[in-house]
This record gives sequence, structure tokens and C-alpha cells, in this order.
Amino acid sequence: MKSVMPDMQPMNQTVQETPVFQVLTEDQIEQIYFSALEVLERVGSRVHHDEALELFRSSGDAVVGDDKRVRVTTSLVERALKSYPRKITLKGRNGVRSVALQKDHVYFGTGSDLPFTYDRKTGERRRTQYKDIVDAARIVDYLPNFDFFMSHGIVGDAPNPLTYDRHQFMAMLEGCTKPYVVTSVDGEGLEDLWKMACLFQGGENEFRLNPMFVAYIEPISPLTNDRTAVEKLLFAAEKGIPAMYTPCPSSGATAPATIAGMLVQSLAETLLAIALCYLKRPGMPLIMGGVTTVMDMRTTTYSYGAPEMALASAANTDISKWLNLIMFSTGGCSDAKVLDEQAAIESTLSNLTAFLSGANLVHDVGYIDSGVNASLESLVMNNEIIGMVRQVGKGIKTDEAHLALKVIDEVGPGGEFVTHDHTYEHWKEWFLPKLMDRSDWETWNAEGAKTMLDRVNDETQRILDEHEPQPIDDNTRKELKKIIDDADKRHSK
Amino acid sequence: MAVDLGQMAELLIAGKVDDVEKMTEQAIDDGMDPSDILQKGLIAGMDVVGQRFKACDMFIPEVLRSAKAMGAGMKQLRPKLVASGAKMAGTMVIGTVKGDLHDIGKNLVGMMFEGAGFQVVNLGIDLDTQVFVDAVKEHKPELLGMSALLTTTMPKMGEVINALKEAGVRDQVKVMVGGAPVTEEFAKEIGADIYGANAASSVDKAKEVLEA
Ligand code: B1M
Repeated sequence: MKSVMPDMQPMNQTVQETPVFQVLTEDQIEQIYFSALEVLERVGSRVHHDEALELFRSSGDAVVGDDKRVRVTTSLVERALKSYPRKITLKGRNGVRSVALQKDHVYFGTGSDLPFTYDRKTGERRRTQYKDIVDAARIVDYLPNFDFFMSHGIVGDAPNPLTYDRHQFMAMLEGCTKPYVVTSVDGEGLEDLWKMACLFQGGENEFRLNPMFVAYIEPISPLTNDRTAVEKLLFAAEKGIPAMYTPCPSSGATAPATIAGMLVQSLAETLLAIALCYLKRPGMPLIMGGVTTVMDMRTTTYSYGAPEMALASAANTDISKWLNLIMFSTGGCSDAKVLDEQAAIESTLSNLTAFLSGANLVHDVGYIDSGVNASLESLVMNNEIIGMVRQVGKGIKTDEAHLALKVIDEVGPGGEFVTHDHTYEHWKEWFLPKLMDRSDWETWNAEGAKTMLDRVNDETQRILDEHEPQPIDDNTRKELKKIIDDADKRHSK
Repeated sequence: MAVDLGQMAELLIAGKVDDVEKMTEQAIDDGMDPSDILQKGLIAGMDVVGQRFKACDMFIPEVLRSAKAMGAGMKQLRPKLVASGAKMAGTMVIGTVKGDLHDIGKNLVGMMFEGAGFQVVNLGIDLDTQVFVDAVKEHKPELLGMSALLTTTMPKMGEVINALKEAGVRDQVKVMVGGAPVTEEFAKEIGADIYGANAASSVDKAKEVLEA
């Protein structure tokens, strides 16, 4: 972008308004990419799914071993890579096409399936219930810095483990009108969730144009693809449902202990899905993913707070941009057992790096206890963090109005800017803290000497007391119920 | 020259798998007392590893390398120990329950038990209840370990315990359960003997129960 300065000769200078953050050079990305291709040609990846194996076999571009190991040619991978859309726009059940997944557009959302919930009333960790999902959904529906919703917790009180995903999605629909990322039990589960979503979007074809969710699917690192994951992937490909195939390697345990090695392996895992989906249906909206972190070598914990996670995730985003793929990344999460200073520090670091790297869907915001425990308060705290991060990401404008030469001239030496028109107009570009306290000691004491955690708790309670999402009409509700009931019946036999 | 068991312990601490295996073989060939090799060589080394791990002087990759060395030594030594009737850690069968594909945590637990001198039979993941029952009958382990990482698959561990009862083998074996969503309370509820929160503490807890 060229900036023309007033009262000066125009300079032929490129001005970068947004911070630039890249952790890999293009040469490094190429090294990683070529290594991943080498892994697919030499090592291969194991696929436990007959149709997928047949697709590879009959492609003439893959060799399937007796041990179900599939080795894929670079030629197939590179043809496949060209077929994926560079833009997917998600539309919430509120009718707003609010999430435009395209280069450098960054959206934040929750993670899914946390077995426990930190109960703020009792201070105890207990099993997550349907109502907790609805509450998390309502909070995300309310908070402006959250753009999409994953279930946060897992419905622990569902009647049947084989159909819990339908109940979970119902809870998500009830509480939140923004777009979703959904987890499902298997292909059949995903089909039901998709049918439920189609009720809102006006059918199958409309869903393709206005998808309401992205399906979350994962391989098993290292280099293994289980039956249910592939089943979901192929169903998504068939129906044109946006999906991500997101490796969850832990460096030093299920991937090499070097970040570069982990990136090579997880890219190979991604590229296998890239090839497979292309064989099934070229052009299906596939998203690149990766929860790339280290296993803590003292505790064996899969770390959600490690700086290596933030770094590796940013690197993955660099790779995704180079491949022209949309990126599903990770941030706003923590290994802390409760919402405390550690949670704030770790959440901030990963949110910031994810934003600056330009990842498109940043998930797991609000996870505490290394992806085991849910905290509603953490969502509220992260909303503030993301607000600050987004402010940094806006960068600095240097056009005429923002360079403010005229104002500096008018005010002159020794004057004040507070009452100037320019201030009146521009100060609103700043981040306006909602929970960060900047008052003086006296005032802070007079207002109850509340800590950040106190304010987060109050705000969480206030949202839960006050926010009601747009309701689902009775007819749709009936149809949703029918899909869920049918699934329960099928599986009760 | 007779094998120096102190040096063997040092090599084990340093995670020299092949060296420990060779040295154990040598010690056996030299006619050393199998119990001595175990106690003054292998276990002496692992004791230090355990202490250093707790003091944060050693970390998982080092500990599990030492555990591997222990396993390699035990492979040589076990038949001799059995023949001499010496006291040693027994067999552990471990696996992840049906419907659950989480692998690595269970594997790490297995390796830790190998480090404690157990013979570990790792059955894999996504296992039918009957596979556990059959394995208990076949291997007659002192310890059966089950791992579940999903709330949806946790109940399978209770099913296995019931199946062990039905097969009349529940009393022959101590049952240990673990995995992220599993709690001490849940373990009690389903009638497991031991709850393991992580690989390292599981070994301590299991030893306590087995030695009681
Ligand atoms: C016998 O005695 C014992 C004693 C101690 C025992 C023991 C047995 N077993 C374990 N221990 C203990 O000692 C071990 C070593 O110290 C420890 O083992 P861990 O396994 O805990 O520790 C490992 C060394 C490191 N930890 C891990 O590796 C697990 C990390 C998390 C992030 C995780 C991962 C990595 C994976 N996952 Co999954 N995964 C999560 C996990 C979140 C978490 N923090 O637990 C969890 C468990 N997963 C979850 C989910 C939802 C899922 N996962 C799934 C898949 C996967 C991957 C395959 C991608 C991958 C596993 C890869 C692999 N090779 O194992 C899916 C299920 C697949 C299936 N059918 O099993 C899927 C259903 C996602 C989906 N919708 O597709 C959640 C559970 C939800 C629930 N229902 O309870 C989850 C809590 C994350 C989340 N919040 O979403 C202790 O638990």
C-alpha cells in the first residue's frame, strides 16, 4: 500500500499497516513440504478403511501394502492440492455469513468434548452435562470476540455413547447462533448432524453455499487413519461438507522431538487426506489443521500451554498459506488446573501468535487442565485477551489523518490534545477494556478491590443471567428432535 | 573378570540398552546369582532413576530408556529367576478398551512397568472385553491394566471387570485403570483395585497393592 504524506513529496515506499509475523521462510516451508512428500512416497500412512484403500488402489497413483500402508505419488498429491477452495464462508443459524475463511482472516472459537467442568459454585471439577454445553454456547453467542462455537464440553448425560453427538449438537444449537465446528461419533453421526444443520440452511445445496459448520476429523499420529475418521472424511467429501483433518501429534511421543520433524509428519498426515478426498470428490472444502504440541517430559501431559505449541501452530499456518489451504489452529488454552495466572499467560501467548500468523479458525479457546476441564470463566477472560490481540493485529495506520501533522501543528508546543476534534474522532479506534482494570488505588478499593478473577466471575454470571439467544422455532425443534430420537432408537437395539 | 554390577547399574541409569543386555548375559554366563544381578545391578540402577526422576534430575525420555534397558536385562534374567524361585515383579497385561483408539498413554504406562521389572503384555487398542478375559486366562498376570481416554468408553472397563468375575478369574488378578477422564472415584465404583493418574505414580501405587 502506498501512503501519500501531506506537505511532502510522495514517497515510493511500501507501508505495512499490520504486524508481519512469519516463523518459517519460504525455503524452510519448501524443505518441510518436500520432506512430507518423501514420507508419503517412502513410509506411507496406514488406512483402516476398505473404500479408501480401493480409491487409492484404483487411482494408479498409490501403492497399498498388505499392512494397509498407502504410499502416494507426489503427482497425485500435487494435482489434489490444486483442487481445494481458498475461501469458505460459514453462515450461522442467525442467518449471518459471519465467518469468511480466507487468507489472513482470523476467527476465534472454543474447543470441544471436555469431560469435566470446573463448577464455579462449588469450586469442584465435575462431569460435564448437557446444560453446561448450553451455557457455554450462550456465553459464546454473547461474547463479541468469539466467532464460532465448538461444544466446549462433552454431554456426559446423553442416553447412549453412540448418539451423544446429536444431543451435543442440539445443546450447541440451543445456546449459540454463530457457526460451529462439530465433532461426531462416526460417519452416521456426521450425517445426522448435517441433516440437522440443513434444516436451518434450507437443504443440501444451500448448505454447500452456506455451510453452517465445519466437521472436525483427526488422523492418529503417527501416520494412521482409523475407520471412523476416514468414514467421516469420505462422507464430508461426498456431501461437500467443510471438514478439517487435523493431526494431534505430541512432539517426543507420537511425533519426532524436533518441531520441524513434527511439522513434516503432520503435513504428510494432512496430504494423505488431501489425496484421498480428491479421489473421492475433487474440490470438497477441506481445511488443513493441526494441534501440534509437545508432550511434557516431566508429567507426560499433552501440553496446551507450551510455547512450542504456539510456535509450531504458527509454522503450520505459514505452510497452509503457502499451500493455499485454509487453516484450523489452536490458541487460548492452558495446562493450568483452574483459571489462574498461568491460564492467562498461556492463553495470551497462543492467542497472539495464532492471530499474528493469520490462522483462520483458532480453536480450543477456553480449555484448561490440558484439554480435560472446561471453564466458562476462561471464555470470558479470553474474550478480553482476544480483544487486545486483535488490537495489536490492527497495526498502525499512517495515512494523512493518522499521521496527524495538521493537529500537531494546530496544538503546537505546550498545548493539549484531549479536547481536539481529532481526538474526539480517533480515540475510539483504541481497545476499550471491559475487564482490565486501569483505575487508581482509591477507586479500585472503593469498588470492592476486585481482582481480574472476581471481575471475570461477575461477568460470567451476568451473561448467564441475562443473555438469551435467538430461539429455535417450534417446527424446526420438532424436526431436530425427530432426527435425534430416530438415532437413539436405531442404537437402542 | 567378574561383571561389575555397580557398573551395570550405571549403564542402566545412562540408558545403554544393548550394554545392559550384554552385561546381564555375561553375568549369567559367569554364574552369578540371578537375584544378585537383579537386586545389585538392575534394580539398584532403576532405584536411582526413580529418585532422580522425582527430583527432576531425570526426565521421561531418559527414564524410559533406562526402563527399556531394564526390560532388556530382564528378558535374559527372567528364566533364571523363575528357575531359582527368586522373588521378582510379575506379569502385567495392558490394553485400551473397546471403541477407544488412544494409544500413547497406555504405552508409556506399560514401559514404566517394564522399568519396574514387570513382564508387560501390551494387547493394543480398541479391544473387545473378551480379549482382556482371554489374556488373563492365558498369561495369568498379577496385574491387568485398562486404559480409557473417553467418557464414552470408560464404562467398558466396568464391563471387563464383570466379565472377569463371570469367567471366575477376577480374584486371580489386581485390576488397574487410568486415562484422562478416569478418576479414583470411578475406579472404586466399577470395582477396580488401583487407579493410576499417570505412568510414574501408577507403578508406585501398583507395587503398594501387589506387595500388601
Ligand atoms: C492401566 O492403568 C493405567 C494407569 C494410568 C493410565 C492408564 C492406564 N492410561 C492412561 N494413564 C495415565 O498415564 C498415562 C501416562 O502418564 C496418561 O495417559 P494419557 O493418554 O492421558 O497421556 C498421554 C501420554 C498424553 N495424552 C494424550 O496423548 C491424549 C491427548 C488428547 C489431546 C487426545 C489425543 C492426542 C488424541 N485424541 Co482424543 N485426545 C484427548 C486428549 C486430551 C487429554 N489431555 O487427555 C481426549 C481424551 N480425546 C477426546 C476426544 C473427544 C477424541 N479423541 C479422539 C482421537 C484422538 C487422537 C487419535 C487424535 C489422539 C490420540 C493419538 C494417540 N496416538 O493416542 C477421538 C476419539 C477416537 C477414539 N475412538 O478413540 C475423539 C472422540 C475426537 C473425535 N470426535 O474424533 C476428548 C475426550 C472426550 C471424552 N469423550 O471424554 C479429550 C479429553 C480431548 C478433548 N477435550 O476433546 C494418564 O492418563
